[in-house]
Amino acid sequence: MRRLQWAPALVVAALLIGACQPATPGGNIGQKPAKLTIAAVQGNEDAALKAVAPLYEQKTGIKIEIVEFPYDQLFEKLVTTFKANSPTYDLVMMDDPWMPKFGTDESLQPLDSTYGIKRDSDIPDVVYDVGTWPPPRGPVPPKAKGKAAHLIGVTIVGNVEMFMYRSDMGPAPKTWDEVKANADKNKKPNFWGYVVRGKATNPIVADFLPILWSFGGDVFDQNWNVTIDNAASLKAVKFLVQDLKAAAPPGSESIDAADRSRLMAIGQAYQSTVWPGEITEIVENSTVSQVKGKVSYIPMPAGPSGKGIGMMGNWLLGVPKASSNGQAAADFITWLTSSDTQKTYVEKGGIPARKSILNDASLNQKNPYFAALAKSLEAVPNWRPRTDQWNAVETILGTNLNAALAGLATPEDATKKAADQIRTLMKGAGY
Amino acid sequence: MANVTARPALSRVGAGRFTRQERLAYTMLAPVFGTILVIVTYPFLLAVVQSVQDAAGREFVGASNYANALANPLLYEALGATGTYAALVMPTEIVLGLGLALLVHRVVRSTGVRALLFVLATIPLVLPPIAVGVIARLIYAPGYGVLNHLLIVTGIVRDEINWLGQPTTAMPAVASVDIWQWTPFVYLVLFSGLLTVPREEIEAAQVDGASGWQQFWHIELNYLRPLVLLIVFFRLADVLRVFDHVFVLTGGGPGNTTQLLSLYLYRIEFKYFDSGQAAALAVMVLVAVSIAYSLVTRALPVERR
Repeated sequence: MRRLQWAPALVVAALLIGACQPATPGGNIGQKPAKLTIAAVQGNEDAALKAVAPLYEQKTGIKIEIVEFPYDQLFEKLVTTFKANSPTYDLVMMDDPWMPKFGTDESLQPLDSTYGIKRDSDIPDVVYDVGTWPPPRGPVPPKAKGKAAHLIGVTIVGNVEMFMYRSDMGPAPKTWDEVKANADKNKKPNFWGYVVRGKATNPIVADFLPILWSFGGDVFDQNWNVTIDNAASLKAVKFLVQDLKAAAPPGSESIDAADRSRLMAIGQAYQSTVWPGEITEIVENSTVSQVKGKVSYIPMPAGPSGKGIGMMGNWLLGVPKASSNGQAAADFITWLTSSDTQKTYVEKGGIPARKSILNDASLNQKNPYFAALAKSLEAVPNWRPRTDQWNAVETILGTNLNAALAGLATPEDATKKAADQIRTLMKGAGY
Repeated sequence: MANVTARPALSRVGAGRFTRQERLAYTMLAPVFGTILVIVTYPFLLAVVQSVQDAAGREFVGASNYANALANPLLYEALGATGTYAALVMPTEIVLGLGLALLVHRVVRSTGVRALLFVLATIPLVLPPIAVGVIARLIYAPGYGVLNHLLIVTGIVRDEINWLGQPTTAMPAVASVDIWQWTPFVYLVLFSGLLTVPREEIEAAQVDGASGWQQFWHIELNYLRPLVLLIVFFRLADVLRVFDHVFVLTGGGPGNTTQLLSLYLYRIEFKYFDSGQAAALAVMVLVAVSIAYSLVTRALPVERR
């Protein structure tokens, strides 16, 4: 009995020792695991993944367990899991702006050199490029310079930010000037000419970057010098927070993607930028939308630069460094992105990146945005600057743009403040 | 003390310092201490270590994370916003919760109705904050928000109020969600407190002709005071952790107007990836809260032997 008195203490000690043991990646290499665990984002982005996952179990006997998190919590979970080098997940779903952080930290396994995943000519190069680290084009962060480029993520949601407008009320805008003209022309009581997705930080930056690029501005130049306060960039800021805001509903400062698509769906807005997920979930969803069939989707209109530039927002699958089932995880990626699986994936609401699927006439009828998405990918959309500091840059830029939109700062002051803060940040990070 | 030493079961065993019963007690407590060590002490020590290391956690940087944290003007904006938030929600919740508790205690006699109110008051407390934030968004959202719709339909306002997009209304809108969710907690605690007030004291006061206000002020409030302090204790901790509904409603905007301390800390850790500064902030907040709590605790009438 006296010996048993120490049992609880021994159990706790055993748990503590167990918890302190490091992860052992690669332990099951070559063996077929009973299951693969995927950390995924909750929402329309992983709906098709969940729908097709049971098919993989039928085919291979490997169970696919999907653990879902809301957007921000997924990012936190991945950061902390990678930091702890924990083998909790065999596969992780990642938004493309997160790739520089995880690439710089070397949190993911190379999928090309380690597991033999190759580019498929039916998928645009830009889709593979966004999952490659260091980035194959554009400025490279100092920490990544000189390193060999590897594929560390493969796109499973081919998101590109596009443009939507009420095609039953007017023609497609070719330029941002026409967007503004249409907004002013169509604005009337309880109907807004343009919806600004202006909520602080990520939302307003996602709405603004395509405008910024189309106006010839950018956040950085090719040498990581901050250019958000140059003349072209300032013009884009003014266009968003003054010209477009004048035709937008009050409260633009707190509008997020769900609000924007709701305003379109209930027939209270003429046009805005849009992500494919909003189209399938709200605008073209006949159970909630009053405008199904009345909205058309096009690539981003052109700005004074003469080019309309969309923005990548791909979701990728990658294999964490600590995963002990790397080969099986890579096999799953190959199966999921194969032409055959993608057909089922699209039927279940998935957003593809394959040209053959996006250009399929019958699928285009069911998915009215496919043609615009194909054109946007063909035109090679921009990605958000490939720096591991992007999350901080986005927070700074998004807070100051939001302040300008709310009238708390002039466009000049907000832009200067953002530029100064970003310069300090980048300098501190060794850029 | 004399009683304790008189118990034969507590006799000392061998030459050890502890009696058999004491050893048994410590052994039984070991899992609890172990758990506290794992989930409280160990993370805190890690935070302290991290607070004196660089962002990558590789080099010792002394107190520079603390200096950087204190030199960042955004910290003071976040502290100001948190102070404003606390000043809005805590008094309002205490006044409303107290009023509701007094009203129900004095007016509602039916046990069934009291039980129903108890259940209704529990509902907001068990709702996930993120769900509350989403519902609040449907109320305050621009364009299709229920509140603006009602105000316009009833003729109270002609144009939409930009609840979440201007500093003067964004903070009260965000605070209103907290008030809705946590006033029932104050009500439940204070109502329970009112049930402990001896009936004889109230009846004696009534015989002496004391008014309702005098009964409250001179008798009931004495019994409620420690509970109010306890509520302040809990709510202060909650206010420092408020995150979800603010994130959903405003994302900290417009500008930084509603960027509370928790949201600021989150951004330092997960947007700036400055683990050192985030840990320094966490340690400073913990020290400040510990001091505040020790002051509150001193005001609590703790039974001493």
